[in-house]
This record gives sequence, structure tokens and C-alpha cells, in this order.
Amino acid sequence: MNSSTSSSRSIFARVLLVTVLGMGAALGLVRAYAAALGASGEAFLGRVLQARAALPQIIAEEDDLVIFYGSSMVQAGFSARVFDRELTERGAEVKAFNFGFGGLNPLFQDYFARRIRETFEAEDREIKLTLIEFNPFQTTKTRYEGAVSSIDAYVGMLASRQELRDILFEDPTRGVRILNIHHLRDDVSAEMATFYFGDEMGFLPPVPESDLPEDEANQERLEALGERMGEKFDEEYPDYEPAAWNWGWQGAGTIPSERSEETLQIFEDYYAALTTDKHMTDDKLWRQYSADVSNLDFEEELVAAFIRLVGEFQQISEHVEVVLLPRNTEWIVYTPEVQARLDGVVQRIRDETGVTVRDFQVIDAVSNDMFSDTTHLGRYIGDVPFTRFLVDHYAESLGARVADDEPTS
Amino acid sequence: MIFNTPIFYLFFLVFLSVYGLVLGRRRPKVYFIIVSSLVFYGAWNYRFIPLLVGSAVADYFIAQAIGRSTDPGSRKRWLTLSIGINLGILGLFKYADFVLESVGDFLGLFGVAADLPTLAWVLPVGISFYTFQSLSYTIDVYRGDMEPRKGLAEFTAALSFFPQLVAGPILRARQILPQMHDLPVPTWANVKRGALLVTTGVLKKTAADLLAIPVAKAFDSTEPVSLLETWTGVLAFAGQIYGDFAGYTDMAIGLALLLGFQIPLNFNLPYLAVSPIDFWRRWHISLSTWLRDYLYIPLGGSRNGGRFRNVMITMLLGGLWHGAAWTFVVWGAFHGLIISISHSLTKVKGLALFHENPRWWIQTAKWAVTFYLVLLGWVLFRAQSLSDGWAMLGDMHGLGAALPEPSGIAGRVLIFTLVTVAAMHLMDRAVLRGGWTAELPSWLRWSRPVLFWLFLIIGQALCLIIGEPSNEFIYFQF
Repeated sequence: MNSSTSSSRSIFARVLLVTVLGMGAALGLVRAYAAALGASGEAFLGRVLQARAALPQIIAEEDDLVIFYGSSMVQAGFSARVFDRELTERGAEVKAFNFGFGGLNPLFQDYFARRIRETFEAEDREIKLTLIEFNPFQTTKTRYEGAVSSIDAYVGMLASRQELRDILFEDPTRGVRILNIHHLRDDVSAEMATFYFGDEMGFLPPVPESDLPEDEANQERLEALGERMGEKFDEEYPDYEPAAWNWGWQGAGTIPSERSEETLQIFEDYYAALTTDKHMTDDKLWRQYSADVSNLDFEEELVAAFIRLVGEFQQISEHVEVVLLPRNTEWIVYTPEVQARLDGVVQRIRDETGVTVRDFQVIDAVSNDMFSDTTHLGRYIGDVPFTRFLVDHYAESLGARVADDEPTS
Repeated sequence: MIFNTPIFYLFFLVFLSVYGLVLGRRRPKVYFIIVSSLVFYGAWNYRFIPLLVGSAVADYFIAQAIGRSTDPGSRKRWLTLSIGINLGILGLFKYADFVLESVGDFLGLFGVAADLPTLAWVLPVGISFYTFQSLSYTIDVYRGDMEPRKGLAEFTAALSFFPQLVAGPILRARQILPQMHDLPVPTWANVKRGALLVTTGVLKKTAADLLAIPVAKAFDSTEPVSLLETWTGVLAFAGQIYGDFAGYTDMAIGLALLLGFQIPLNFNLPYLAVSPIDFWRRWHISLSTWLRDYLYIPLGGSRNGGRFRNVMITMLLGGLWHGAAWTFVVWGAFHGLIISISHSLTKVKGLALFHENPRWWIQTAKWAVTFYLVLLGWVLFRAQSLSDGWAMLGDMHGLGAALPEPSGIAGRVLIFTLVTVAAMHLMDRAVLRGGWTAELPSWLRWSRPVLFWLFLIIGQALCLIIGEPSNEFIYFQF
């Protein structure tokens, strides 16, 4: 090696050092800043990640397993504990799990369904009954556009190594980007950070809001009732130990016989104070803005992902059904065109998966005053009646005694 | 493979390691540049690699033939072949459909329904840049401005050199070929300047992506947009196209500097121009000088009273270079017109006060008029169609239908847009002056290196935090 080559290498070594150290320092700053804000994959998908971590515990259950998989509407509208208890009383030993996750559209649900399928297959375990919610609001173009900034970050968290490798080979640019977000950025993509800052700094279009006045006194009452609900929970469940996976939304606290009369009254008062005209009108405007709930312009990619995820559960379930959850018909009204679009997608799901699709949108067991907003059933006031309806509906297939007043759908 | 992506960072690290540390001899380095550049290019669409290599091989041998020949007729024929090949490729991929559609539309005006077939071919990325670059070599050799150089590999490496391959600057053969022969080693000063340019480039690109949002609201919205948001959108587009293109070329120049290669700057504070002529001396300098040297001057330049005609032809073709659409043609014609008017005004005795007068208020007035005209031009450039462009120009001046009230965030977005465009120019100024730390007071000079590297790290960190999905570089489509 002559001296000129040696000197050239020394300069290029410095260039390399500058490039690596500079980017390393910049990335370090980004991570430090995200950590200071509390932004991480855990913060975005905590409930999903906890549920994934709890899969071995679920598989280890001896009873027949029932899983209700879906969106926040399932999260709020299904009480796994009520379901278990009612079926046990009717002679069927089942253990149900609420796999409802807010903000998880079918694209992400599909990835999570694959992880569930892999875990069950590895343990050679089968689910007795899987109910999969088809949420039309989560399947719209508007919803998809709202999630674009988080797709790669979520895929990084939910995809398997093999899937990440496949993406890397099919689209190296995207693959490296996902790996970068997952391994070097703590699952926080630049797009997610921009969205966050844009919102904080008031650069995003304002969320639509009605002109109805805010009732300050009612707001204060609502806060006081919320605090009382928390206090009553602590009183009535003194030994409560939060499990790793959001035990609260498995239905704790929603079994009336476990709660005092005073607590039940607080629940009723709380929802009465919550569901004001302003609350409901603003919520409707928000749902329309963020999910196109009245128009339902479906996104093909999300519909296809939903069909795929049904296929995942079919591989590990004795029986799978797709369910449309109760709809607040006072606020979500479909025109014949919208209804036809929805019917078309439902028919497509039926055709391509071969599963039964149950339309529970309008059922006698659930009325509009059981909703906490325009789409979600209220805890205790809504989830319990709907869960009981499901118990009646599925009791026979789960080997339980059938109640006299069998519901119709 | 875009510069500001993780995959390019990996690519560059590998390239730097092999090129700078593993390979010691010149020839393997040149081959490595070719292979790496083709990998870089192939990441978009590997099917177009033969087109790029073919263009290089053809022009290399044509230049050799021109150099060998002493017969003017033969030299001219070889040059014509080179022009035919390069413009033929460009025409086929970029303009064929536009011409066919325009002919169809034209015939339609006379009631002739001509449903002409279109090719609908994908436009090879960077084709307008590398064909012009390659063409400049054969023209320079034909003119005797440079000798044909030996070494096909060097020529191919120069033409495909990845930092400048897909969006320029459009290098002249005489700028890059000697460097590709010598393979210079970067000086530490150049490394620092390169790192600064890469950082300012990525900052500009990041800012441009954010500006895309108000731009889309003004230009793509199906609903009527307020007067304030329309103007903000136009201003934002001025910032977006500048940040996008200047950002890319800053990064290209910076990356080349990190490898030891010198590429001239492509922008010089364009929105501080005080006349349309001045604007084109500052905007996309490599294209405007290319058009000047290889089109305007051969057409006769300003001689024999042909200035207006030659300016118009040059700017029309310059507009067309940007894209195969009537909006670009009209944009080019508009600039040709305002350049010609500017030339004419310099001869009006009554306006002598305004020429070369350094008084601040005269310069400010000239700047304001120029910037306004440039903004009008950008409306035509960005509009989806000429009719959309006219409608927007009307809206901007209150000549269209009544517009709605601005949204609640319109004021904030306008301020953000203005600050962003100004910040881009401040960064340019810093680069032109060798870094802003050079302007620090003497008692703070000790901190120069710390502040310099801190600026780069914080700048890169900012760009890692800010991101907006799906914003490719605008100039890639040209």
C-alpha cells in the first residue's frame, strides 16, 4: 500500500465515522425526545401487545375457549366475564376473551390474527367459538387514510420475522424503513411524530364540533360521577390485581350481582349525564369525519384484509362466525345506497370465507339508550344486555342449556 | 431509492466503505461506481438500465467518431445521430403520448374524431437529466470545446454517477469526466461542506413535504378554497418546489463532496431575484445554462434582433423539458415573455432609474414584482390543467366566484409557509458563505466546530422526527 492510498483511506475512514456518528447522534436525540414525550410502540399498541403476550396463558386454560375479535366496539360491548358466568350457570364450561382493540383496523387485525393462529397452532390448541366483528366504520377509505401514517410502525410491531423478511425482499425500501422504525426508533415513525406535533401545534384541521353549548355544571357532575365510579370499584374489588392484559375490559365490574345498588345507580347517572345532545352530536360529527360512518365508502385493501383474517381464525377454530354489532339507529342511519354497499361487502365476506354472518345491528335486546356514544355500547348498561343476548344465541352450540326465551336475529 | 430514506443511508455506508476503504486502485473504483450507480438506478426500475447504459455507450463512441473525423459533414452527421438518439429516447418516452393526444385534440377542433393510440409507457426516472448531460458531451466535442476522452468505463461512470443521476444537477462532461479520471480524495473542508449540504438538503426536503399539505388544499381540493388559503397554497408551492428540488440537489452535491467530487451549486437564493432574468440565473442553474449554451446561443442569442424569438423558443422548450403537458408549455412561454419584457424595459430611458440602482426601495420593488410574477408562473406549473390554472389565477385576484371564509388554521399555515420559505433561503445563504458559524462574532469563534456539528446533528434529528408519507421528489417526474 503506498502512502497516497493510505492517506486516502484515512480520509474516507473519517468520512465514514462522521456519517455513522452523526446519524447515530441524531437518532439518539430522536429517541430521547420520544422517550421524554412517552411515545413508544407500547403506548400506541399496548393493549394488543399485552394480549399477544397473554396468549400462552389463554391457551393454557382448560375450558373451551371463546374469542370475540374486533374493534373498540367489541372492547366496549362484550363482557367476557358475564359470558363465562352465564354459560357456567347453564352447564357449559367456557372461558371467553375480549379481543376488541381500539384503533386497530382490519389491516392490523390481520397481522395480529396471524400471530394468534401461529401460537395456537404451535400448541395444537383450538378455539371452540370465534366471533369476529365486521365493523363497517373501520373499513372505510377515510379510516384507511387516517391510519396511513402508522401502517409501517404497526406492521413492524405485529409482523413476524418471516413476514418482515418477505417485505424486505419484495420492497427493500419499505422493508428497511420498517426495520428502522421497529429496531431503531422504538416503533415511532416520523409520520406518527409529525401527526402528533401537527395536532399539538394546531396545524391539523379542527375536529368538527357542533354549536351546541357546553353545560359546565353537567361536565362537573360527570367528572364527579367518574371519580365515584372509580372509588366504588376500589371498594367492591379490594383484592383487584390488574393482570398484564387489561383485565378490566374482560368484563370486570359489569356483573350486576357483584355491584351494590348505589354503584348501579352511579352507572345509570353517569351515562345519563354523559349522553347529552352536545356529546352525541359532536361524537357523530367526529365519527363521520374520521370514519365516514354515514356514507361507508369502503376501502378495498381493508375489506380484503378482513377476509384474510377470517381465514386465519378458521384454521384454529371449531366454529367461526362474523358478527355485525348493534348500531345506534338514532344516530347512525343508512340510506338505501349505503345499506346496499354494506350488504354487498357482507355478501362478499360470506362468499369468500364461507362463514355465517350474523347481523346483530338491530336486535330487541339492545336499545339506543344503551350506547355511551353514537357507536359504542356503554359499560354495564350496554355490554351486559348484549353479552346476555350472545349467551342466549350461542348457548346451544357451546353445549349449554338453552333459555326458554330464545332470541331471534 | 431516495436520499432521505434508511435504505439509501445503508447503501451509502456500503458504498463509502468499499469505495473508500476496500478498493485502492483507480480502475476497480470506476467499475464499482458504475455497478453501484446501476443498482441505485435499478432500485426504481431495473428495466431501464439498458437505456441508460445504451445512451452512454452510444454517445461515447459517437464522440470518438466526431473526434477522429476531420470532415465537417461527417462530424455533423455523427452529431445529428447523437441528438437523434438522445432526443429520440426522450421524445418516445416522454412526449409521444402528449403529441398524439394533442394531435387528437387538435383534429377534434375540426370535428375529426381521431382516437389515436397512446403508448402509456412508464417514464424512466432521470431521463431528462442524463440525456441532456450525455448530449452536452457530444456537442462539446463537435464544437471543439473538449477532446473526446478515452475510457468508456469512465464515461459511463460519469453519466450514471448516482448522486446526480436522477435529478441533476445537469453536469457538463468537462466538469465531471476529468474528476472521474482522477477520482479525487475529499479534503476535510469538503467533507464538512458536504455534510452541511446533505443536512440543509434534507431539511429543505422535509420542509417541502410539509408544505405539500397547504399546496394540496389550494390546488387539489374539490371544494372552493378561501382567498387566504389560495394565496397560501401558491406561496407554499413556491416553497415546496424549491425545497424539494434544491433540497435534492443540495444532497446530491453534498454526497458527491463526501466522495471527493465537486458539483457546482444549482440554486442561488432564487426568490431574492430582482428580475425574471435574474431569477433564471439563480434557479436550476444547470438547466438554464445548458439551454443558454446549447440552444439559445446556437439559435443566435440576442444578435440580429432575434432575442425575443430565441428567448421564447428557449423558454418554451425549457417549459416542455419539465413535463409533457400544456401547463408546462404555457409556463415556459410565460417566463419567455416576462424575460423578453424585462430585456425591453432595460432600453426604456424613462425607466433608467430602475436599472442597476442599488437603492433599497428600488430593489425591494423589483424583488416584489419579480416574486409576484414567479408565483403566477408556479400556478400554471402546478395546476392540473390550464383551465384550473386560469381559474386559480382568477381566484387569487378576486375575479372568480365568491370564495368561502378561511378555516381557523389558515393564518398559522400562512405564517408557517412564510417562515419555511425564508428559512430555506437562510440555509442557502449559510451554505454560500461557508456555514453560518463563519459569521459568529470573534469572541464566539472558539465554539464554531461545536456549533457546526451540533447544527448538523440537530438538523438531521429534526428530519428524522418529521415525516409526511408519500411525498416523492417532484423533479423525478421530469
